[in-house]
Amino acid sequence: MGDEKEIGSPGSSMHGVTGKEQTFAFSVAADQTIPTDPTAKFTLPVDSEHKAKVFRIHSMANPHMRTFHLSWISFFTCFVSTFAAAPLVPVIRDNLNLTKADIGNAGIASVSGSIFSRLVMGASCDLLGPRYACAFLIMLTAPTVFCMSFVSSAGGYMAVRFMIGFSLATFVSCQFWMSTMFNGNIIGLVNGTAAGWGNMGGGATQLLMPLLFELIRRGGATPFTAWRIAFLVPGLMHVIMGLMVLGLGQDLPDGNLGTLQKKGDVHSDQFSKILWHAVSNYRTWIFVLLYGMSLGVELTTDNVISQYFYDRFDLNLHTAGTIAATFGMANIVSRPLGGLMSDVAARRFGMRGRLWNLWILQTLGGVFCICLGRASTLPLSITSMILFSIGAQAACGATFGIIPFISRRSLGVISGLTGAGGNFGSGLTQLLFFTSSSYSTAVGLKLMGIMIVACTLPVALVHFPQWGSMFLAGNDKWSEEYYYGKEWNKDEKDRGLHHGSLKFAENSRSERGRRVVSASTPPQSTPECA
Amino acid sequence: MATNACLVVSLWISCLLATTHAATFSSLQRTLVLTASPQAGQVLKAGEDNITLAWSLNTTFASGIDSTYKTITVELCYAPISQKDRGWRKTVDELAKDKTCQHNIVKKPYTSSNTTFTWTVRKDVPGATYFVRAYALDSAGKEVAFGQTTDAHKTTNLFEVEAITGRHVSLDIASACFSAFSIVSLLGFFFMDKRKAKSSK
Repeated sequence: MGDEKEIGSPGSSMHGVTGKEQTFAFSVAADQTIPTDPTAKFTLPVDSEHKAKVFRIHSMANPHMRTFHLSWISFFTCFVSTFAAAPLVPVIRDNLNLTKADIGNAGIASVSGSIFSRLVMGASCDLLGPRYACAFLIMLTAPTVFCMSFVSSAGGYMAVRFMIGFSLATFVSCQFWMSTMFNGNIIGLVNGTAAGWGNMGGGATQLLMPLLFELIRRGGATPFTAWRIAFLVPGLMHVIMGLMVLGLGQDLPDGNLGTLQKKGDVHSDQFSKILWHAVSNYRTWIFVLLYGMSLGVELTTDNVISQYFYDRFDLNLHTAGTIAATFGMANIVSRPLGGLMSDVAARRFGMRGRLWNLWILQTLGGVFCICLGRASTLPLSITSMILFSIGAQAACGATFGIIPFISRRSLGVISGLTGAGGNFGSGLTQLLFFTSSSYSTAVGLKLMGIMIVACTLPVALVHFPQWGSMFLAGNDKWSEEYYYGKEWNKDEKDRGLHHGSLKFAENSRSERGRRVVSASTPPQSTPECA
Repeated sequence: MATNACLVVSLWISCLLATTHAATFSSLQRTLVLTASPQAGQVLKAGEDNITLAWSLNTTFASGIDSTYKTITVELCYAPISQKDRGWRKTVDELAKDKTCQHNIVKKPYTSSNTTFTWTVRKDVPGATYFVRAYALDSAGKEVAFGQTTDAHKTTNLFEVEAITGRHVSLDIASACFSAFSIVSLLGFFFMDKRKAKSSK
């Protein structure tokens, strides 16, 4: 039968897969033909698995859009609590008698915890389902946020920030949950929007915490008590969101964990093989480094930017926080924009376009970071910061426009490794540039910008035999089937385990850009192999 | 007449130059004598203990040196040991950018005779080592002279302040209760769901 696709829906020109889906273990490979299931009684049109085919942001329809909103708001809450200390550091450093090294180490600790928790979260989603994985994490880290009220030394401060940082693993549950609810055609945009709006919490907290501090202080508390009381708010947000996820959420469109386990036996791959194919692919490690220079520097800047404005330009806490907030809030559009630009570049130039797009965005981010470090007037500083934020965050979105193509079999592990690499990059840049007393925050920003530009150069080394790289064209003698088939040995191929990869390979042919005949095929025509 | 006019013009120009030039600490003369009650090495408790200050003009200087002094402002300033590894308390010669003295004690109109003041250490003063400094301000609010309780290298006669922790028993109890609620409700939901699943099978 002919393909039935809505004209103009994202990815329809690619015959099924946008290529931006982030599938972790247990999500079923997207089907090429996605007929709408007429028997399903959902508000949104759904496919045969009851995953939504459209993404309506304003809707709260159960379960798809409700899940989207629960998911991104939970992730947002965790960002708020992880970076809640940053705008209050000028008060905390006096209360706890911190040195610059103490503040730097606590910042590193705040992003290090989730390196491990993000890796573990993938397995938790498989075992418990995304609803419980998210709720468990967010409600078990609520006590760590409340612990801030007990802190009385540099060591305690660092330990609490480390524990709160575990909650950033909600990134994984958020993306996983979206994959169970939304069809592969639109999963790229959905995931990019959910991740971007969640990351926005790093900006919102720079506004929220000084505001709370000011209100509590005016209510009569002394500064050294007011900041502790202010921390009750992110903690309560954790509890409320956890209860809402438990009460209103569900793992799958049709219900909860039991059904998931029934469907889960479609995919029964060996974890050791998946892991091997992820770590032996050199592209994985280049992207681990690159994501550290886009998400990593974004998290670092969330931690230091408010202090920078407070100390360098003598602004008060509230004003410094407001300016710093614009950095994180830019995520509302810039991360989805990066993904969109990647898609647009791919339509014309294929994978080479995606790689160039990533290099340009991330390098521009680095250049504006250098400008931010060198700026000596407030207007110039704010302008540089905004341009830096757009560059770095769009690069994050662009990165996840390429990740799904590195491997089909090991996509989950590669996504998890890349995410962990982002956090590692944040810890590393804070250690190198913002912990030592021998140079100021402004000089640290300049040096970080130079590191971004230098460490983005390796993207030129990423080469796909069938699609090429930044400077080398792809060779037509290599096919996508060969590249994705390489991950399976003869025995596995004989048992037919590689068919999902073959389907994906066929759909990814549009990454050749305008050279591909199929890219110009009108969406309604029947593909030859139907 | 001509010399009078010249004098007025040159005085006016020098006044203009004085106001457009940024004031630096090294340009100030130490014409004030300032004493504070804490002994060297004494530890004061924030929110409880007092500091009694006394300041006057140093009479060894020529009379008339205090003609421009309009206000005296007394500040609590960080000693070098509390500035180490803390760039936000750095000493810079240009007074507008100097961060040595961040806690104002009192601001009073200037009188050449001996003035005293007793101050209770505020609760928002951080735990650190301090000395006290007084600036004499002119009518434009610019520093024209100073006096301090320590020597030029800021090594003698320093005292400490022990800050409040900021913790309160009621806050600790509230945190503990909310944490317990979070864990209990999570486990409650989880086991209730498990029981429902078992009973429906």
